[in-house]
Amino acid sequence: MKTLYKVLIVFSLPLSIILSLFIGPYPIPPLKVLGILFNAITMHPDLSTPAARIVIYYRLPRILAAALVGVALSISGASLQSMMRNPLVSPYVLGITSGAALGAAVALAFLPLFIPVELVAMITAIAAYLIVVAIAWGWGRGSIISIVLSGVVVNALFSAGLSLAEFFAPSPNKVAAIVFWLMGDVGQAGQWPDIVRMSAIIIPCSIVLIMARWRLNILSLGDDEARSLGANPTYERLFFASISALITAAAVSYAGIIGWVGLLIPHIVRLLLGSDTREVITYSLFLGGTYLVLADDLSRALTSQVIPIGILTTIMGAPVLIILLRRAGRVWR
Amino acid sequence: MALVTIIEVENLSFSYSRDEKTLENISFKLHRGEILGILGPNGAGKTTLLKLILGFLRGTGRIKVMGTNLQKIPRRRLARILGYVPQEHHIVFAYRVIDYVLMGRAPHYGIFSMPSRSDYERAYRILEELGLANLAEKTIAEISGGQFQLVLIARALIQEAKILLMDEPVSHLDISNAVKTMELVKKLVAEGKVLGVIMTLHDPLMATLYCDKTLLLNNGMMEAYGSPSEVLRPDKLKKVYGVDFDIVKYNDRFILVPVVKNISNHDN
Repeated sequence: MKTLYKVLIVFSLPLSIILSLFIGPYPIPPLKVLGILFNAITMHPDLSTPAARIVIYYRLPRILAAALVGVALSISGASLQSMMRNPLVSPYVLGITSGAALGAAVALAFLPLFIPVELVAMITAIAAYLIVVAIAWGWGRGSIISIVLSGVVVNALFSAGLSLAEFFAPSPNKVAAIVFWLMGDVGQAGQWPDIVRMSAIIIPCSIVLIMARWRLNILSLGDDEARSLGANPTYERLFFASISALITAAAVSYAGIIGWVGLLIPHIVRLLLGSDTREVITYSLFLGGTYLVLADDLSRALTSQVIPIGILTTIMGAPVLIILLRRAGRVWR
Repeated sequence: MALVTIIEVENLSFSYSRDEKTLENISFKLHRGEILGILGPNGAGKTTLLKLILGFLRGTGRIKVMGTNLQKIPRRRLARILGYVPQEHHIVFAYRVIDYVLMGRAPHYGIFSMPSRSDYERAYRILEELGLANLAEKTIAEISGGQFQLVLIARALIQEAKILLMDEPVSHLDISNAVKTMELVKKLVAEGKVLGVIMTLHDPLMATLYCDKTLLLNNGMMEAYGSPSEVLRPDKLKKVYGVDFDIVKYNDRFILVPVVKNISNHDN
C-alpha cells in the first residue's frame, strides 16, 4: 500500500504539470501541446505559431512556477516541523511572510516601478528572519520556544508595518495592489527569468535539506537526546532553519503569501507514509508541487477571472486535512 | 580482575541559579562491570547529575570518562562512549520502532549521511535479541511503556555505547516490566556488552537487588556512597526521605521495608 502511495505521489508531479499545459482560455489540442513540448525539450522550439508561444511563454513557466513554489513551501514546512518538534509549525513561523509582505507593500505603494517588488520583498523577508535569529539564538540560546516566540513578535511587528504602509498608501489602487499581492499569485513569477532566479535559490537549498533528512529525525527527538547522539542541536537547527528560511523567502517574494501548503502537505505525507522525516521530506516535495499546480489550474479555470491561489489552497486544504485526521491516532500521540 | 575506573567524578558542583546550589561536592567512581544506582528524593539532583556526566550541563569540578577529561572529548566521540536512556517522555512524531532504534547510529555518521543496510540488519538483530522483533514495524505510539523502555535500551546498544546512563528506567513500569528491564541491564553488564551503568532510581529495593554501588543524594549533597548494604540503612534513609524503615532479611541480603503505622490485621 505504501509503495503504491509513493509511486502515485512521485508520478503525480510530472503528470499534473503535463495535464495542466492543456488548460487555458485559448483552446489548443492536447496532441499539439505535446508536440510543442517535445520540440522545446529537444531544443528545437518552433515559436512561429501563437499556440507555441502561449505554451512556451505563458503556460509552461506559470505551471513550473506553481510547482516550484509548492515544492519550496512543503519541503521547508516538513523540515521545520521536524527540527522544531512541532507538527503545527509552518514555513511562516520564522517571520518571513510578514517580512516579505511589508517589503512588497512598501515597494508597491511607495517605490518607483523600476524597482522589482520581489527583490524588496526578499530583502525584508530575510531581514525579518535575521531579527528572529538575533533574538532566538542571541538571547534564547536557540531553544525551540525562543524561536517560535521571537517569530510571533517579529510577525506582529511587521504586520503592524504592513498596516501602516496600507494606511499611508497614496491611492486606493495601490492598496488594492497590496491586497492582491497578499492573496498570492504564482502568475507574478510566471516569466522564465523569474523561474531561473527562484530555482537558483530553491533547488540547491532543497538538495541540502534532502541530504540531511535523516539528521532532521535526530533533531526531532529533542535537544538532550540529540546531544546524546552526537548532534549539536543549537547550531544545526540554526543552519537548517536558515536554509528553510531562504527557500520560503524565495517562494513568497515571487508568489505572495500562499497559505496552508507548508503546513498541510507534510501532514498528508505523514498520514499516508508514517512520520520518518526521510520520507516526509522526499514525498512532501512531490506532493507539494502537485498540489500547487492543481490549485493553480483551478484558479485559472474556475471562473473567467484568475482567483488568487492563496484562497484556493486554503479552501482545498481544509477538507483534505479533516478527512485525513480520521487516521491521525496512529501517527501522533 | 583489577578495578578499572571508567567514570570518575571529583568535587562536582553545579547550580542553575546564583543563590542556590543544585549539586555540591559530588565525588564517586564507576568501575568496570558495575551498576551504580543514584537515589534520593524528588529534586535531590539525580537527573542533574546524569546531565552533567552526559555533558548537557557544565559544572565545576572534574568528570573523567574512560580516563579522559569530559570537556576534551568531542561530542560525537562522547556519543560513542555514553548511551543516554531518557525517562519516558513525549515524542512528537510516532516513528516506527525500527527507525527509532536506527537513530542510535547517528554518532557514527556525519550530518549528511544515511544509515546503511547493515545498520538495518543490526537493528533487527538487536530487537530480536531483546525479544522485540514483532514490534519492529509498529510505531512508538502503539507500544507500551515497558516495551518503549526496552526499545530505548536497544537504541543505546546499536549506538555501541560502552556506558549506559539511565534516567529512572523503572519508575513508571509495572513490577514485571521493571524486573525485565533490570534483568536485561544486569545481563548486558555481565556479558560485557556494556562496561558499566549509572541509573537514577526511586525504589531502594531495586537498588538492593540489582546495584553494585549506590549513591544517596539529599538536597544536592552526597549523603552516602558505597555498596547498597552500606548506604541503604534505616538511619540514612530516614534522614533523607523522612520515613522509618524496617530491615528484613531476604536470602543473604537485607531489604528495607517502610514502616506502616496502624496497619490493619487482615487475619482477624
